[in-house]
Amino acid sequence: MADDKKPKKGGILQVFKDIVYGMSSHEMTRHAVRTRASMEHLFILITMGDLLGIPILPPYYSLRLLPYVVPQISSWKRRMLREKDITDALG
Amino acid sequence: MSLKEVFESQPERRYIMFGGKGGLGKTTLSATCAFWLASHGKRVLLFSVDPQASLSDIFQRDIFGKGPVPIMENLWAEEVDADRRIREYQDEIRKKILDMYGFDRVPEEIDNYISAASAEPAMEESAIFDAVVDIIVQGDYDYYIYDMVPLGHALYYLSMAKVYDEWINKITKLRQEMGHYDQVAATMRRQETVEEDKILEELQYIKNRINASSQILTDKRRTAFFFVLVPEEMIILDTRKAAELFSRFDVPISGYVVNRVLPPELRQDNIPQYLKNRIAMQEKYLGEIQTTLGSQVLAYVPEMERDITGLPMIEKLAERLFQ
Repeated sequence: MADDKKPKKGGILQVFKDIVYGMSSHEMTRHAVRTRASMEHLFILITMGDLLGIPILPPYYSLRLLPYVVPQISSWKRRMLREKDITDALG
Repeated sequence: MSLKEVFESQPERRYIMFGGKGGLGKTTLSATCAFWLASHGKRVLLFSVDPQASLSDIFQRDIFGKGPVPIMENLWAEEVDADRRIREYQDEIRKKILDMYGFDRVPEEIDNYISAASAEPAMEESAIFDAVVDIIVQGDYDYYIYDMVPLGHALYYLSMAKVYDEWINKITKLRQEMGHYDQVAATMRRQETVEEDKILEELQYIKNRINASSQILTDKRRTAFFFVLVPEEMIILDTRKAAELFSRFDVPISGYVVNRVLPPELRQDNIPQYLKNRIAMQEKYLGEIQTTLGSQVLAYVPEMERDITGLPMIEKLAERLFQ
């Protein structure tokens, strides 16, 4: 940060570039993270569907994956069971 | 071709299954076949995953849930206890969760899910499926003889390999796509992705197991599937239908064995009308079997004078079956 504040030639252009880059990459990252989260929920739905009462093949193997998704289970159920997502309105 | 010639000409066929409706003698023929191979110096594992398995009955000793039990030289028999397998598996999953997250006890919601999973009918089937995969992928016996459950189940079982295969391919692909998004996000936040890789690893493991078993089951070089039938109208019709369904799932049908044929020489004796009628009926359907299946019939097995239990009786039948 201290370096950025030093006045130097083309500084304003550099800052502008950084802002543009930051904005676009931030947007991309946010998009990636959100898509990733949706896919995570989709993935858990496919493998652990019976937690919501939707049995989707084959329980013996889905139990094998269960330990890895334990932390995500509660947020996933909330997302699947609520009617509308507040981020739907924002997005 | 006789059953004996089939085995002698195809030594690389190591996975043998007898299928057919219930009560036609699948277990008897499986045991007889296992006995014959074992007495010719092959190491044979005869196994069943049926909760009402009858291997214990035919060998006249309790082998249920005891792993491979030696029956005679070169012959082992195994009856898988699916319920126990599920229970042990559930405990394994619980323990894994405790170890992974350092919990004192499994969260209630998760624990309920694990318990409820065993109540699903599909659980038992997929557990049985996995038990069979376990047995056949080991490959340390010369022959694996699978004493199958009656037709409908057998078909379900065989189709499962195909369905699971497709299912697992799809979710593995989804998981891989998720990995791409992870990489994008990881350039900003340096997140740990260890868990993700582990899920993919597990999926690959499951995939390999299912692929291995479905490859074995549909490989004509390594697997032989014999249909058992008896000379009766309904059985012939059902067998024909089943054979069509099986070929749709790429199950290699290697031939038919006609069981419970009343010895025609009985006719010369002074026998009651009832028996004469039955012999006449069988002759009619034997003719039908000959015209429709012809050379695909590998053996006609006579109705024996008593039920087949115990090794001496099995030996006697083996002599007839593999003459």
